[in-house]
Amino acid sequence: MQALWQDLRYGARMLLKQPGFTLITVAALALGIGANTAIFSAINTLLLRPLPVEDVDRLVVSVTLREGFDPFGSPFLEYAAYRDRSHSFASSGVARQRSFNLIGQGEPERVRGATVMANYLATLGVKPVLGRAFSAEEDQPGGPPVALISYALWQKHFAGKADAIDQSLNLDGRSYNILGVMPPGFDLPGVAEVWIPLQVNIDNLPLTERAATNNEILARLRPGVSLKEADTELKAIAHQLEQEYPDFRRGWGVKVISLRQNLLGDLEGRVRSALFALMAGVGFLLLICCANVANLQLARGIARERELMLRRALGAGRWRLVRQLLTESMLLALLGGMAGLLLANWLLPILAVLNPIRGISLAAFLHNFAIDQRVLVFALCVSLLTGVIFGLLPALKSAGVHELMPRIQQRDQRVGGAASGRRWLKGLIVAEIAIALTLLICGGLMVQSFQRLQHVDLGFTPDNLITMKMVLPASRYSQYRQRVGFADQVLERVRTLPGVASAGMTTNIPLEREIAYDAIFNVEGGPPPNPNNVPITSHRVVSPNYLETLGATLIKGRLINKNDRAETLPIVVVSQEFARQAWPGEDPIGKRVRRVRAGQTFPWMTVVGLVKDVKEDLFNYRINRPVWYVPYAQVENDFPVNLIVRTSVDPTSLVAALRDVIHRVDPDQPVSDIMTMNTILSGVLVTERFGAILMGALAISGLLLASIGLYGVMAYSVSQRTGEIGLRVALGAQPKDVLGLIIGYGMKLTLVGVAVGLVMAWSTTRLLASLLFGLSATDIATFSAISLLLGLVGLFACYFPARSAMRLNPVEALRYE
Amino acid sequence: MVTQSTEASTTNGATPLIRLCGVTKVFLTDEVETHALSGIHLDIRIGEYVSIAGPSGCGKTTLLSILGLLDTPSGGSYSLKGNEVATLSFPERARIRNREIGFIFQSFNLIGDLTVFENVELPLTYRGMAAGERKSFATEALERVGMAHRAKHLPSQLSGGQQQRVAVARALAGNPAILLADEPTGNLDSRNGEAVMTLLGELHKSGATICMVTHDERFAQHADRTVHLFDGRVVEDRVAA
Ligand SMILES: Nc1ncnc2c1ncn2[C@@H]1O[C@H](COP(=O)(O)OP(=O)(O)O)[C@@H](O)[C@H]1O
Ligand SMILES: [Mg+2]
Repeated sequence: MQALWQDLRYGARMLLKQPGFTLITVAALALGIGANTAIFSAINTLLLRPLPVEDVDRLVVSVTLREGFDPFGSPFLEYAAYRDRSHSFASSGVARQRSFNLIGQGEPERVRGATVMANYLATLGVKPVLGRAFSAEEDQPGGPPVALISYALWQKHFAGKADAIDQSLNLDGRSYNILGVMPPGFDLPGVAEVWIPLQVNIDNLPLTERAATNNEILARLRPGVSLKEADTELKAIAHQLEQEYPDFRRGWGVKVISLRQNLLGDLEGRVRSALFALMAGVGFLLLICCANVANLQLARGIARERELMLRRALGAGRWRLVRQLLTESMLLALLGGMAGLLLANWLLPILAVLNPIRGISLAAFLHNFAIDQRVLVFALCVSLLTGVIFGLLPALKSAGVHELMPRIQQRDQRVGGAASGRRWLKGLIVAEIAIALTLLICGGLMVQSFQRLQHVDLGFTPDNLITMKMVLPASRYSQYRQRVGFADQVLERVRTLPGVASAGMTTNIPLEREIAYDAIFNVEGGPPPNPNNVPITSHRVVSPNYLETLGATLIKGRLINKNDRAETLPIVVVSQEFARQAWPGEDPIGKRVRRVRAGQTFPWMTVVGLVKDVKEDLFNYRINRPVWYVPYAQVENDFPVNLIVRTSVDPTSLVAALRDVIHRVDPDQPVSDIMTMNTILSGVLVTERFGAILMGALAISGLLLASIGLYGVMAYSVSQRTGEIGLRVALGAQPKDVLGLIIGYGMKLTLVGVAVGLVMAWSTTRLLASLLFGLSATDIATFSAISLLLGLVGLFACYFPARSAMRLNPVEALRYE
Repeated sequence: MVTQSTEASTTNGATPLIRLCGVTKVFLTDEVETHALSGIHLDIRIGEYVSIAGPSGCGKTTLLSILGLLDTPSGGSYSLKGNEVATLSFPERARIRNREIGFIFQSFNLIGDLTVFENVELPLTYRGMAAGERKSFATEALERVGMAHRAKHLPSQLSGGQQQRVAVARALAGNPAILLADEPTGNLDSRNGEAVMTLLGELHKSGATICMVTHDERFAQHADRTVHLFDGRVVEDRVAA
C-alpha cells in the first residue's frame, strides 16, 4: 500500500514534470475514450437500458411478412393460432393503433390511441399510476365504454388532478369513462395517449375480419425459451396457416423480433448493425489513440531507458519498475477517461439530434442518450484497459532487458538496444495506418451508401410541400359523397389561398410512418392471382391534382382529373413498376386491372396513365414497389384524408391559413401531423445518416490521429538519426538524398500499413453489407481511392520531418555524437 | 626537426591541393562572438600527411570542417585543386565532399542499421555509381584495411578498432583526393589506436594525402608535418625530419 502510494506520487511528479507530454497523452486518450463512451451511451440507451415495461428483454413482437420482406400488421387469425398452438409464450396480447377525434376539451384535437386487449397491457406488465387497468370482464363484447389515458394527457386536460378518474372523455363522439392514468412516458403501441379495450371475441369474427392485417401481436417469452426458438415455432405455425387458409394466408410468413428492435423501427436489424459497426469503429479509433500514446511512451521510454536502467542497477527490482511505469500509464488513462467523459457529455446531444431510430414510441426513454451508471462503469473499464494497453508495452520492454551495463554506457542510440524500441514504434505506426485505412474504407462505404440512398429518384419533388392529416369520423360522414364533398370543398378553398400553387388529397402521404394501405391486383385476361407470386402494391386513393401537386412525372396517357366521378368509367393511373409486373413488355394504357381480396370483388379499372415510379412506402425505400392511383370519387373508403399542398412560399408560413380553411369547412374536424415533405423525408434514412455521419467522423479522426502518429514517429526518428544524417551529408549525400531517405522510410511504413489495412478492411467491410446500398462491401473504387488518400496523407506527414532533416547543419549534427 | 615558415611550404611551384588564405570563422551564439579561427594560412600538397594538434577548443574540428566543406569560412579564401570552393552551392559542395574528400570521425563512424559492406558502399551510392562497380570499389577498400572478411557483419558485432578500420575503408572507397580524420583514435584504447595509426601510415606510404587532427603527441609523430593551433591561429608548422 505504502509502495503504491509512493508509485502514485512519483508518477504524478513525472507527469507534472512533462506537462506537454501529459497534455497530449490525455487529449488523445480523451478523444478515444470519449468517442467510445458516447457510442456506448447510444447502445446503452437503445439496446440495454430497462424500459418502462416489465423485463423488456423477454418481450417479443411477431411481425407478419409478405414475400418474406414486406412488413404488415398481424391478423387475429395468427394471434389465435399462436395462443392455441404455441408453447413459447407465457402470455400474449393484441393491440391496434388508431386515433380519435377528442371533442369537448377545447379545440377539436386528433389524439393517437389504441384499442388493446386487457392481455396486452398485462403482458407488458404496465400498471396505471392512478386508478386501474381494464379487467378481463370489461374486455368482453358489449363491455362498458372505458378508457385509460396517458400521463401527458392527464396533465394537459385534467391538470394532473386525481378526480380525472371516472370523468368522461368524448372520443369520436362517444363518451368513455376514464379508468386510470398510465405511467409517465408510457405510450405503447405507437405513441398512444388513450387506450380503450378491444371488446371483441376474435374467434367469432368472420374470416375476412380475422384475416385483416392490422394488429400488433406482443408476447412474453416463457422462461428458458429463446427468441430464436419462438421464431422457429411461429414460422411453423404460420406455415400451417398457409395450408389451412390458402386464400388468405398463402405467401404470408412471420418473423419474431424483440420488442426493443420493434421499438427502434428496425425490422431488418440495421440499427443494431449500425451501432455495432460504430462500436467497432470507436474501438478502432481507441486503438489508434493507444498506439499514438504508446508511441509517445516508447519514444520517451527510449529516452528514459538510461534512467530506468540506472535505477535497476541501484537495486530496483524489475517488477518494481514495471509497476512504476504501469502506475504512470494508469494515472494518465484515468485522467484521459475523465476528460473523455466530459467529451462524451458534450457529444451526446449531437447523437440525440442525429437520432438513429425511426421508432417514435417511448421517446422519453429511447431519445434520451444520458450518461448513467452503466456508462460510467464502461468508461472506467475502457480507461483502465487503455492504460494497460499503452502502458504495458513500454513497461515490459524495459523489464525484458538483462544486460544493464551496455545500456547505461550506451552513447549511440542507433547501435544495438534502441533497435527493439524502434521496431515497436514501426509496428505501432503500421497498425495505426492499417486501422485508419479500415475505418476510412468503412466510413467511405457508409457515406457513399447514404448519399446514394439520398439521391434515389423519389419520383416526386419534395421541396415546398406541406402535408397534414384528417380522419373523417363515420358518425359525421356517414355517406361517402359527404366525404368527397368535404375533400372537394377544402381543396377548392385551399387552392385560392395566396402562396398555394396546387393541392391534392391522398390516403397515404408518401414515406410517412403511418400504416399504409396495400392491395393485390388482378389483371384482366390473366389468371386469377396466385397469392404466392403476386406482388403487394401501394394502393392510393387520390383526388384530382394530387399527382400534379406531388410532382409525379407522367410518362404516357393522362392523370386523374375532376371528370373522373363515381358515375364515369372507373380508371387507374399506374407506376412503371406496376406496369412492368402486370403487363411485362406491353403498353399498359387501355388495359384493365382490379383489386382482389378474398371474398370480395372489385370493379375493373381502365389504365389511363403511366407515371414514373414514386417512393410511396417507407419500408420499401430501397426498392420500387408497384403503385396504383385511383380517383377518390370512384373508390369508397374510410381511410384518413391527407392534404398535400405545394406552395410558392415557405410552406410552413401557410399552416395557420390552412387550418383556418379546414375550420371553416367543418369546425369540429381536427387536423394533425402538419409536416413539410422534407421533414418526412429526413425521417426515412435516420439510421443510414447516423451511421454515415458518425462513421465518417470516426474515419476522419482516425486519419488525423494516424497522420499525427506518423508525423510524430518520423519527427522522432529524424531527431534520433541526426547524427546519422549528418554523417551521410558529410559523405556527400545531396539534400534530395536526405529527403528521399526520410520520406522513403515513412512511405515504407505507410505502404506496409496500407497493405495490412486492405486485408483488414477486406475482411471487416462484409459485416457492413446489410447497411450498404448501391455498392458492394468490397467496392474497388473506394478501396483504391482510400488507399491513395492514405498514401498522400502519409507522404504529407513525412514531408515536414524530412524537410527538417534536409536542412540539418552537418557540423552541428555531427557534434551531437 | 626543422621548423619552417608557412610561406616556405608553399614555394614548391605546383599548385597545392589545398590552399587556405586568411581563413576566419566566427560563431555567433547568444550575442557572443566566438572566434574559432582567426586568419589561418595553410597549404597542403598532394601526398602530404599533415597532423593538426592543439589544446581542446583551439579550433581543430572547425578547421577540419572547413577543409571538408562541411562548413563555410566567415572570411578568407579556400581553394581546392586550385578552385575557389567557399562560394559553391550546397549541392556542388556535396558533390565535392563525395568525390574529393574522405572523412574519418572520432566516433559515430558507422550506421548501425547497415552492414559493414553497405557502410563502405554508402558514399559511392551518392555518386550514382552502378552496383557492380560499387562492389569492386568497396571490396577493394575493405581489403586494404583488412576487413573484407567482415563485410556482412553489423557494426555492433565489431570491436571499436575494427569499426574504425571500416570507417577508414569507407573514407578510402571513393578514391578521394584527401582523407580528413578528426581524432580517429580518440575513442580507442592504445593498442587499437596504434593499429589505426599504422593503417593510416601505410595508406600514406601508398600515396594518400591525409590531414589528421589529434591532440595525442605520440600519434602526431606518425605524420610528416605537424601544424599546431592555439586560439584559432597557427602557432607552429613543422616538418618531421
Ligand atoms: N557551432 C558552434 N557554435 C558556437 N561555437 C562553436 C561552434 N562550433 C565550435 N564552436 C567554438 O569554437 C571553438 C573551437 O571549437 P572546435 O573547433 O570544436 O575545437 P577543437 O576541435 O579544437 O576542440 C570553441 O570555443 C567552440 O566552443
Ligand atoms: Mg574537436
